[in-house]
Amino acid sequence: MMKREKKKKKITLFSVCLAIVFLLVCFLMIVPLWKVFVDSLDLHTAYGMKMWPKKFGFDGYISVFTNPTLYQPLLVSVITTIAGTFIGLILSTFGAYVLIQWEMPGRTFIANMLLFTMIFSGGMIPTYLVINNLHLTNTLWSVILVPALNVYNLVLMRNFFEGIPVSLFESATIDGCTPVGIFFRIVLPLSKAALAAIGLMFAVSYWNDYTNYKLYITNSDLYNFQMKLRSVILGSDLPIANGSATANTVKNAATMVAIIPFMILYPFCQKYFVTGVNIGAVKE
Amino acid sequence: MSRNKKEKTVVSTKPLRTRIYIHRWFYLMILPVLVFAIIFFYLPMFGIRYAFFEYKGILEPVFVGFENFKKMFSMAGFWSAFRNTMELSIIKLIVNTGAAVIISLLLNEITGLKFKKAAQTIIYLPHFMSWVVTASVFALILSPTQEGLVNSFLTSLGFVEKGAEIYFLGSNRWWRPAYYIINIWKETGWGTIIFMATLAGINPEQYEAASIDGAGRWNKMRFITLPALANTIITVLILNLAKIMNLFESVFVLQNDAVVRQSDVLQTYIYTQTFNSGALPNYGYTTAVGLVKSLVACALVLICNYASKKVRGRGIV
Repeated sequence: MMKREKKKKKITLFSVCLAIVFLLVCFLMIVPLWKVFVDSLDLHTAYGMKMWPKKFGFDGYISVFTNPTLYQPLLVSVITTIAGTFIGLILSTFGAYVLIQWEMPGRTFIANMLLFTMIFSGGMIPTYLVINNLHLTNTLWSVILVPALNVYNLVLMRNFFEGIPVSLFESATIDGCTPVGIFFRIVLPLSKAALAAIGLMFAVSYWNDYTNYKLYITNSDLYNFQMKLRSVILGSDLPIANGSATANTVKNAATMVAIIPFMILYPFCQKYFVTGVNIGAVKE
Repeated sequence: MSRNKKEKTVVSTKPLRTRIYIHRWFYLMILPVLVFAIIFFYLPMFGIRYAFFEYKGILEPVFVGFENFKKMFSMAGFWSAFRNTMELSIIKLIVNTGAAVIISLLLNEITGLKFKKAAQTIIYLPHFMSWVVTASVFALILSPTQEGLVNSFLTSLGFVEKGAEIYFLGSNRWWRPAYYIINIWKETGWGTIIFMATLAGINPEQYEAASIDGAGRWNKMRFITLPALANTIITVLILNLAKIMNLFESVFVLQNDAVVRQSDVLQTYIYTQTFNSGALPNYGYTTAVGLVKSLVACALVLICNYASKKVRGRGIV
């Protein structure tokens, strides 16, 4: 494709085959999403093979957006994502910063205590019973607080902090900077890439959370968009179709509403996601 | 974190009390982390005692010894969930890793930077879809009507009669292949990132030297690229093998009553036995199932940690 301009290489049979393979792979990746997109705009009884709406119209989206029961779940999703990401980042940066204090008495104990949770867990039901006994079920606190301490993300953050030169800490201490001052003035400003990467990982997992809602939330007023979408797709909670939209159009439109915000943000965030994976992988 | 930094640290000669005082701010900072760890990870561990109790809903727990475990091991549902957990996650792991390696090798051969970047952007995308959205998308395109993309495609090729469409997600025969394919769709692209990072680290001189020696594309891939990837492939397999018992959400959103025998895994078994059984939730029994699950998972992590230390000189935890 592009190589002709770049290096004036010959177009070999191999490079043509490669391009075709990748066009095919990308096509297969996109086609399920494209199909949903097309059907969400099609008012005609859908026939599977078409790749373009037969009878174009926004009635599917209008049905979704004129349905007030969908605003609340969107609001819940936004609130829990912001609050959860914030708390998650506080816990991972604080924890990571403490874990690089090699001379701190008790550091090894704390590290082992956190690591043990990656090896063994109480399980789904004992955790549910704890949340239930704390009266957190059917409150948004359960879905915000339970996933906030993510030991894996904490370790990623610690790996990143370890890369900060010790001499910076030492000179700041000599200049009279307190540990808390060092944290806010040196560690955090130097870790913007890691904060973005791990913050986005938290945000995606909060936005996509379904399991915790399924376990701890039974009150449908506190459902997030994922829970709502699930009930729309299962047909138990279909918004009333507006105008000439069919049930199928409405389902497709609701799915698109869940996908679109992310599709818009994704190109800007992609490099941070990749950074996140590489902090974990490249570390030796 | 198990790597010891002690040899690097000069052991402080200051008395313990002074060292604690110097670090007083750090104890304050770690406090919220410890509170979270205790409430959400350690308190549930004490809840494991209910595995030895008859504990139904609002009734007081009664100690029953190993009754829950006896019941569990005599239940066909438990064994099928156990087998399914192993089968689904191991096959999924192998298939996904294989697909990711192949795609990475091919991506690595693309010389056009823009084309490569575009392809990567597209294949990473499905990773960020939630399982609910993924299940919705595939429920729509695998729908057993002419509205479903796959069925109408097969009809147009003549493989499927109109009116006799296949209900892929509700058929004993098709549920598992559909599950694997959906997983490939969602995770292959993301899986390539770690392999691409390794490939980027290969010294280009190796390829040049091989070219001078007359190695073609195939031989270069076989003798330089694949050996370089081998360690990463083993690492990925080990890391993921440690997590296979946690399989839950992907199965939960894709399964339905028609395919329980093919799809039920331990976590979904625990969930449905507790919350969807119709009777009072039997917390004691499902805690016992969860305990068996956690113990197997723990053993797997320790085995994988050992394997990881052997293979790459450092543990996974």
